[in-house]
Amino acid sequence: MSGGLITLDDLPGPVTEPRKIRRPFVGSALFFAMIVIGIVMLYPFFFMIDTSLRSESSFLNGGGHSLASWRALDSTLPWRQQLVNSTIVCLLSIGIILTCSTMAGFAFAKLRYPGASAVFVAIIAAILIPVQSIVIPAYVDIAQWHLLTSYTGAVLMYSAIGTPFATFLMTVYYRSLPDEVLEAGVIDGLSYPTIFLRIALPMSVPALATIFVLQFIQIWDDLLIGLLFLQNPSERTITVGLGALAAGRTTDIPVLMAGSLVSALPAIVVFLIFQRFLINGLTAGIGR
Amino acid sequence: MSSVRFEYASRIYAAGHRPAVDRLSLEIPDGELCVLVGPSGSGKSTALRMLAGLEPADGGKIFIGDRDVTDLAPKRRDIAMVFQSYALYPHMTVAQNLGFALRVKRMPREEVKRRVEEAAELLELTPYLKRRPRALSGGQRQRVAMGRAIVREPQVFCMDEPLSNLDAKLRVSTRTQIASLQRRLGVTMVYVTHDQVEAMTMGDRVAVLHEGVLQQVDRPLDLYDRPCNVFVAGFMGSPAMNLLPGKRVTDGVEVLGTVVPVSRALGAPGANGAVTAGVRPEGLQLAGHSEPGTIPVTVEFVEELGSDGFVYGTVDTGERITVRSPGRSHPSVGSQVGVRFEPAQLHVFDGESGERL
Repeated sequence: MSGGLITLDDLPGPVTEPRKIRRPFVGSALFFAMIVIGIVMLYPFFFMIDTSLRSESSFLNGGGHSLASWRALDSTLPWRQQLVNSTIVCLLSIGIILTCSTMAGFAFAKLRYPGASAVFVAIIAAILIPVQSIVIPAYVDIAQWHLLTSYTGAVLMYSAIGTPFATFLMTVYYRSLPDEVLEAGVIDGLSYPTIFLRIALPMSVPALATIFVLQFIQIWDDLLIGLLFLQNPSERTITVGLGALAAGRTTDIPVLMAGSLVSALPAIVVFLIFQRFLINGLTAGIGR
Repeated sequence: MSSVRFEYASRIYAAGHRPAVDRLSLEIPDGELCVLVGPSGSGKSTALRMLAGLEPADGGKIFIGDRDVTDLAPKRRDIAMVFQSYALYPHMTVAQNLGFALRVKRMPREEVKRRVEEAAELLELTPYLKRRPRALSGGQRQRVAMGRAIVREPQVFCMDEPLSNLDAKLRVSTRTQIASLQRRLGVTMVYVTHDQVEAMTMGDRVAVLHEGVLQQVDRPLDLYDRPCNVFVAGFMGSPAMNLLPGKRVTDGVEVLGTVVPVSRALGAPGANGAVTAGVRPEGLQLAGHSEPGTIPVTVEFVEELGSDGFVYGTVDTGERITVRSPGRSHPSVGSQVGVRFEPAQLHVFDGESGERL
């Protein structure tokens, strides 16, 4: 370097990588916290698997593992039929919830009509009502309609409970869709029902997936509604079946754990398949 | 292809408020590119949406060709629209986006394919036909939006600020593409923009709107040379025209202490002879500081554009003034210069109504 001139050699080399900000303490603290949370979350599963692989006596008195409880489960609980029942009830309810909530959400978000905001507030209010407080009058109604001995009563209840929140979620989602896309549909010659079916609905797959997962887990795991509204033993869902198993004079804990594992598995699978949509759907409409 | 005619068309969003579009009367001949320009809130987009059928007309009529379309649904108007955000369908490929309107019309598959391929060829979109919009650049998305309008072979193109999402360089090249495409297809186009440079360069004619009211429709240069009022004078042209308070005197207009002779008859003077004198930056000449007949100006800022420059300064009486300075030798900031009017380039507006005299 001479005479104050900067030569090419003085210049720093080309930057090829972004500079990393190293904060080693934060990183390892976070990692440690994650491990602790992971253990807390996974321990129940470990306990269930471990317990289900013991007989009742080895569970109570200590001893080796065996498949005795799984065999006992197979002979005492019609779990295959009950899984089918759970699936039917879940899918029918979610079908109704999705049909109602997408149409209502689209109407609240994109159509203008008198009383829209009042109805919307009423639906939000419905989310706040605890199920337990309405379950008795609902039971009386459904009993009077003679719907306690088929899937219908439970499906109606699950749909009614799930629809308000799903409608809220869909409304928020549809509000985030730009009006111009729908107007482009109008210009292209679509009517509002066809805009809903051919443009809005295909664009709302993340929100639909979110509702599907949330409702699936909620309905699949529910005991109260199933216990009350599925009176016919052949239509019991898996959770109701497990409940009946636990309600006997003595409860065989390892068998119950085996049944619980069977019951939990489908919900886990559904969650794993749809989880990547879940975050998108729940945060939809918050940012740009 | 068809002409477009607004007859006293109005749009009122809320009763008791100023109409968004106030008794708009405008005739656009067949095959013309007419630009609606104005600041935000001027009603230009609303007027376009009324033509497209996305907003109802609360008064007046709208014609496309000889057909009264005032109460027709958008799909019966035979128009196509390009939106500011492009409004592409994100779940469809480029080809599906282009052909969607035709499929809705139940056009035969072969014909849809032919038109989509033609439009893609025209807009250089053929390699991207199978992509989704999210995998395209801004310029490509803009072309898909154009293509979606072209395949329909409509009578009228409605363009709602279609370039405002593009970066500056792409905007300039796309605007010439759109204008030449319009000329090639010979379709009537109504083009909305807030950018007066876009309006000047693209339009066969330009309609200037302000607060819902049509101010002036003219060819771009006529608009520039003979603005009908103070608003149009100030809005068209960049940098804006200098608008200075003045006074009618017997042999011209007195402005900033000097009398500028005006050869044409200005009509009867107002109550106190107050006028607004308008002069574009190129209608002023820089001169030496103390040359006789010049107005002394303190230079505050100099904008160099390479081929020429603009000098922003203040007059002793406080008025700000912009002067075009040709070439590359511009006065330095803080210095005193003299500025001389070119009488032929003086615009005179009524001091009260703002109308051209």
